[in-house]
Amino acid sequence: MSVELISANHAAALAATLAGRANRSARGFCSGVYPITPSTECMEFLCGQEIEKGKVVRADSEHNAMGICIGASAAGARSFTTTCSNGLAYMVENCVAAAGYRLPIVMSVANRTLGPPWNIWADHGDSLLLRDLGWLQLYSADNQEVFDTVLCAFRLAEDPRILMPVLCCMDGFILSHTMAQVEIPTQEQIDRFLPPATIPQRLDKAAHTLGQMETPHQSVVHRSQHHQAMLGARQVYSEIQDSFTEIFGRRPADPLVSYRAEDAETLIVSMGTLGVTAERVVDQLRDQGQAVGSVRVRMFRPLPDTELRQLFGGKKRIAVLDRDISIGFGGALWGEVRNFADRDSIVQGYMIGVGGGDVRPEHLLNLLAELEQSEESAAPKIVEVA
Amino acid sequence: MAQKKTRSTPQSSTTKMVLPDDITFPLEIRLHGRGGQGGVTCAKLIAAIYAQLGLNVQTFGDYGAERSGAPVRAFARVDRAPIRNRNKVYQPDHLLVLDAALLAPPVLDGVGAKAAILLNSPEAAEKYAETFADFRFGIIDATGIARKHGIGTSSVVIINTTLVGAYLRLLELPLEVLEDVYTGMGLEDDLAAAKEAYQKVQVCQPSPRATQKTAKTTGGQLETCLPEVKPQTEHFEDIPSRLKTGSWSTQLPGYEDYVAPCNHACPAGNDVVGFIQALKTSGPDAAAEVLLHTQPLPSVCGRVCPAPCMHECNRNQMDGAVNIRSLERWIADHSDFRLQPEKAAKAFSLAVIGGGPAGLSAAWQLALRGHQVTIFEKESKLGGVLRYGIPVYRLPEEVLERDLKRILALGITSVCDHPVDKAEMARLHQDYDALILSKGFSDAYNLAAAGESLDGIEQGLDFLARSRKSESGENLVGDVVVIGGGNTAIDCARTALRSGASSVKLVYRRSRDEMPAIEEEIQDALREGVQLLALRQPVAFRGVGQVAGIVLAEVELGEPDADGRRRPLVTERTSEMNCSRVLLALGQQNTLDLLPDCWQIRKDRIWQKDQPLNIWLAGDCATADGTVTHAIGNGRLVAMEALAKLSGTESTPTTTPQGSVVAPAQVRFSHFPVLAPHQDRHRVLETYQNSFEEVNLGLSGQEEAERCFSCGRCTQCDTCLVYCPDGVISRSENGYQIDEDYCKGCGICVAECPRRAMDLRDKGLSDVR
Ligand SMILES: Cc1cc2nc3c(=O)[nH]c(=O)nc-3n(C[C@H](O)[C@H](O)[C@H](O)COP(=O)(O)OP(=O)(O)OC[C@H]3O[C@@H](n4cnc5c(N)ncnc54)[C@H](O)[C@@H]3O)c2cc1C
Ligand code: SF4
Ligand code: SF4
Ligand code: SF4
Repeated sequence: MSVELISANHAAALAATLAGRANRSARGFCSGVYPITPSTECMEFLCGQEIEKGKVVRADSEHNAMGICIGASAAGARSFTTTCSNGLAYMVENCVAAAGYRLPIVMSVANRTLGPPWNIWADHGDSLLLRDLGWLQLYSADNQEVFDTVLCAFRLAEDPRILMPVLCCMDGFILSHTMAQVEIPTQEQIDRFLPPATIPQRLDKAAHTLGQMETPHQSVVHRSQHHQAMLGARQVYSEIQDSFTEIFGRRPADPLVSYRAEDAETLIVSMGTLGVTAERVVDQLRDQGQAVGSVRVRMFRPLPDTELRQLFGGKKRIAVLDRDISIGFGGALWGEVRNFADRDSIVQGYMIGVGGGDVRPEHLLNLLAELEQSEESAAPKIVEVA
Repeated sequence: MAQKKTRSTPQSSTTKMVLPDDITFPLEIRLHGRGGQGGVTCAKLIAAIYAQLGLNVQTFGDYGAERSGAPVRAFARVDRAPIRNRNKVYQPDHLLVLDAALLAPPVLDGVGAKAAILLNSPEAAEKYAETFADFRFGIIDATGIARKHGIGTSSVVIINTTLVGAYLRLLELPLEVLEDVYTGMGLEDDLAAAKEAYQKVQVCQPSPRATQKTAKTTGGQLETCLPEVKPQTEHFEDIPSRLKTGSWSTQLPGYEDYVAPCNHACPAGNDVVGFIQALKTSGPDAAAEVLLHTQPLPSVCGRVCPAPCMHECNRNQMDGAVNIRSLERWIADHSDFRLQPEKAAKAFSLAVIGGGPAGLSAAWQLALRGHQVTIFEKESKLGGVLRYGIPVYRLPEEVLERDLKRILALGITSVCDHPVDKAEMARLHQDYDALILSKGFSDAYNLAAAGESLDGIEQGLDFLARSRKSESGENLVGDVVVIGGGNTAIDCARTALRSGASSVKLVYRRSRDEMPAIEEEIQDALREGVQLLALRQPVAFRGVGQVAGIVLAEVELGEPDADGRRRPLVTERTSEMNCSRVLLALGQQNTLDLLPDCWQIRKDRIWQKDQPLNIWLAGDCATADGTVTHAIGNGRLVAMEALAKLSGTESTPTTTPQGSVVAPAQVRFSHFPVLAPHQDRHRVLETYQNSFEEVNLGLSGQEEAERCFSCGRCTQCDTCLVYCPDGVISRSENGYQIDEDYCKGCGICVAECPRRAMDLRDKGLSDVR
């Protein structure tokens, strides 16, 4: 184990590299990549690595980058890629295919606002495009978490009970371009954590097709299998956490990271780095005697509904922060979690930091102060942050 | 930081040391620089230093869509506890400014009284003493030191590794940490510069009266330094934003013409790129209109010019020069366009003596400007060498006539069969406002070898002249030897071949590479059957009455002489060869025997005692350049000079265009498809005997014009407009305009312009490097 001062983009790429090397005794590693700010450094780093039995293909578009991952994975290789924003939008058609083929591809997304108008900064709108496609989605809040998440993602994706692609999200720039110390395990440890990948449906000597035409009934069955497998991810993830802890000596973060939430009257719910800012605010308000807590949703798909319902139970006020806008509706997270609250709780949605604004504790203090005064939930609010 | 292959910072071992008391946690550091200066890496180096000391760190840049030159910020945060703060740094404890030109309120925002400030500037600390009296303040010429140590390139000096040395000193941190960190990151080479900065940084402690809360220039309170938390209102602002990002830039692109190398090389002063582009876009008449301003003999030069323009053409570096000469011919052969003479405010009356290219060019320029010109020519027709030297298979009679007709149509009077002598010279001087003397070279040189007076040995020029004057050419039989290596020699050889010679040998004393004749002409001669005997010097002729043989000595080449060509050393080894005719082509003398005795030449003008007369020399008799295009350029120059003197205006006319010449590296070859030059068509015959028809038939079309890059001159191709990432370039009435309010000065338009019709200029910020 060593400690390195690296950016989260590099942390993701390094995790993918180590995972790729760990598959050397099986079908190796193959990745299709295409650059886009702020994910570019991740793919650049990957391109610079030597991976035994590994190949990083610089594709001519995001669409084909995913196409390469699909081919690689269908041939039994471990596969990884990275993109964001409109690059992800362009990739979507093949993302649908990757999920439909149930291929264990891992993708890192440095979340970036969708354009136009063009904007390169953080916003979750891009990864949310994939919300309903059958990809697992994990959101991280610091560099170590990014590294750990990518490693866990391979285990998750390749688990025979799951077998589907996983999206690992980090806030563009706020994480992707921030350097911090990251603990890096040895290859030997990684090898133990990530056994050679077996992809049962892989195209091999015996001829068969993937994703062929099917009848309505067959589709229902396949969708339902996919759905059930995704729901099982929560259980599988906790096993992975145990194994991770055993091998690396530290526990990767839970699907929900709750912070001083148990006895809180007011709860802040968020995803990504907004969550750590929320935790700072919680500390500040606790010091002033206010019972505030935070829940950071790390696993957005499958959404840990039972745990959320449990956490929300008895809370007076719940502020849901979304770094996204589902236009014409409100925040996506708010839309999903508001029903887990008690009937008489006030659940207020805030779209904050949209387009990459620097959300500071003061912003949250302001909106919480206002929330304390309110008697009922209002329509979701957009908070302007420069 | 010089971009080494350093993947990350190993933190395996940390350096143990006690931190100075005044470093408190969390520690927040902010850097201000410009895109491209390496500020983000500088922040990383600082973070790496604290990481080396066993502290938790975080570092990041404040990324914008802006490119090179725009203000950039970078941050670092240090704490004993894990860092949860994900915000930018608004109240830095340490402030580093990489560029003094940035010192303005936003840079100093939020800088509290206890802060330490480090500035990169070659200036003395005193200059800032007042401004930063309340802070611990350091100043260092990191740019100078980094440049001295050769970090970065000569144009982009990378200062971050150097600046960090000064930072350590400002905070009283020991240098050893730096060694560990730089070694770990593969930056050992930059250590010396960092150490020098550590030694040299001037540090000023805060003055005791440091009660003021913020830097003076901010004038504000700490609290106002945080961006305002806006009310929760809907956000409606027009797109694009009202942020005038153009004010951040240090450079501004602009449209400018640069000199195309072809234009620079043309001795006649032709606007080559101008006439080619006019041909391309508007056809031969438009092209002729451009060309005729400097070129009265386009049909001639389009055939016989050695075309130095093509030697310099930038397309040589890609797939072969543009066939400029033949495009010039194409225009002359396909346009009857006539320039209309101007009306002169005061018309002068001038005489030109000698109707060769120089005289014709001078007359053309004078007549175009509305002056009265009379040409006095000793032969019966105008043209000089063009008429009695260059053979018709290269320059057909009717082609020359066409150019002459256009010239004379300007109202020039020509008086032929009128040799001017000393007395006539003096008379003309009385009768005209000014004279231009363009009589060409004089008699040809002899060989001074034994037997030179035998029959059958004569000057090649006489042979050529006779050959042109007689209808059917001259009949000539037997074995012919031509002596010389210039255009005259080649023309004699090829004419001899056509006149009935059984064999033609060209004897030249140096090697083929040194032959002064036009290369294409040499090739044509060899193709037609002329044999070349290089490195041979005739030492005697044999024969009784009539020449029957020639004795040739072998020649070796010695040291280069004044003109750079290797000196021929005649050896004792000789051989003899039979021949029946010898044509001498050894060059011509340059004497001026038609000047009255009391006149002298001083710098191409005639003087009488200390009085300059209004008589100028032009063409070969003045310059001895020996090409038509030079004669034309010089004729124009001299005409302008004479006019300037007559009208009492100062003039500094030049033939070559002034300004910076577009180098091949400034043309984006990748923008242009590879396309081989369109070659001239040639009449290929079994035998050239008795055929005086034109050999070179020129181009079959004008497509060759498409190959011209248009070096240095905008073609309105829209590339700049398309590539501008900010979309601030738009078409204007006669070109393009750039919206300075939003131009970031990234220079992408300039870099993308395929032909260097744009440039970046400094907006004049004082301390930007
Ligand atoms: C055989 C030959 C081939 C050449 N081939 C080429 C070629 O292919 N390309 C090229 O660029 N250059 C070539 N040149 C050189 C080029 O022709 C000359 O450099 C050019 O013609 C010089 O022009 P000019 O006006 O100075 O002199 P000239 O052309 O010599 O004209 C001088 C004129 O003055 C007249 N004159 C002389 N004395 C008097 C007098 N006392 N009174 C009145 N009139 C007088 C002459 O009759 C003549 O008409 C060649 C030269 C020769 C000899
Ligand atoms: S005169 Fe000669 S050098 Fe000038 S443009 Fe014409 S061919 Fe080129
Ligand atoms: S490419 Fe055109 S403009 Fe450029 S040097 Fe050649 S002829 Fe002149
Ligand atoms: S890119 Fe094209 S339009 Fe723009 S300056 Fe250059 S030549 Fe002109």
